[in-house]
Amino acid sequence: MQVVKIDYVGAAYALFALVLAWDYLAPRLRLARFKRDRVLRSRRDQARRDAAGNRP
Amino acid sequence: MNRLILWFNQTGSPPNFDRFAARWTPWAFAIALVSLAIGLYGALFEVPADYKQGESFRILYIHVPAAWMSLFIFVVMAAQAIIALVWRIKLCEILAMACAPIGAAFTLITLASGSIWGKPTWGTWWTWDPRLTSELVLLFLYLGVIGLYNAIEDRRAAARAAAFLAVIGLVNVPIVHFAVNWWNTLHQGETIRLIGPSKMDPSMMWPLLATALGTKAWFVGSLLQRARVMNLEQETGKAWVGQAMGDASRED
Repeated sequence: MQVVKIDYVGAAYALFALVLAWDYLAPRLRLARFKRDRVLRSRRDQARRDAAGNRP
Repeated sequence: MNRLILWFNQTGSPPNFDRFAARWTPWAFAIALVSLAIGLYGALFEVPADYKQGESFRILYIHVPAAWMSLFIFVVMAAQAIIALVWRIKLCEILAMACAPIGAAFTLITLASGSIWGKPTWGTWWTWDPRLTSELVLLFLYLGVIGLYNAIEDRRAAARAAAFLAVIGLVNVPIVHFAVNWWNTLHQGETIRLIGPSKMDPSMMWPLLATALGTKAWFVGSLLQRARVMNLEQETGKAWVGQAMGDASRED
């Protein structure tokens, strides 16, 4: 019976850790996506400028 | 100008807030992790099992701080929402909306950990008790704020609409808190009091205080982190964002 109750404790603590891990990682992933989008946009803009500069 | 007001005005500008958040987020998370590690170690290995509930009482060391945070964060969110609605301060709109997912996370932990505790103690995962039901309504309010904010394309109009819901939802906070006093509930009454003697033995109290401090610091870190990303997204295209990201990439 004690073992079963310890499993309940383990499940509750695992859930706590899981939710906090999500809370920590979600904005970090969002920031990484934001940075990647900025880099890709600047590359596109640069390519467009280069293409416009090479036109006769 | 008053130094405090001056500090608020300076920190409230988007570039200054970005620097402030980038600087203090790691510190807040560090304090949170140390406090949580101490508290959870005490809760799992130092504190003796309860003479009635046995081992399952250890769940309260995450359930109670999470429940406190679920209410505290809603109050913070509503306060920011009122400031955003009255004075139209953009940073307060961002801070209010950044509170919602963190509050929802803590409310989810409260409901799920309470449910896991309820099975061995009450013999059921769930009952429509006033405290449990009002806490579930709190989760729906958080989800409502998140949903409303994401349903409107204009970020500032979305923040104002969601801020209204946050202010209206504030009425649920005292209902959750006083549910155990106002109605005859299955949920136990107040055990820990800030003023006056608590019903909990002091030998069992210290891990709870450590986890409570840890969750508060976690909220600060998470709020700064989330608000920083939202601030950058809304200010994209501005020169300072390029400089901040350039600096960040050089640091990486």
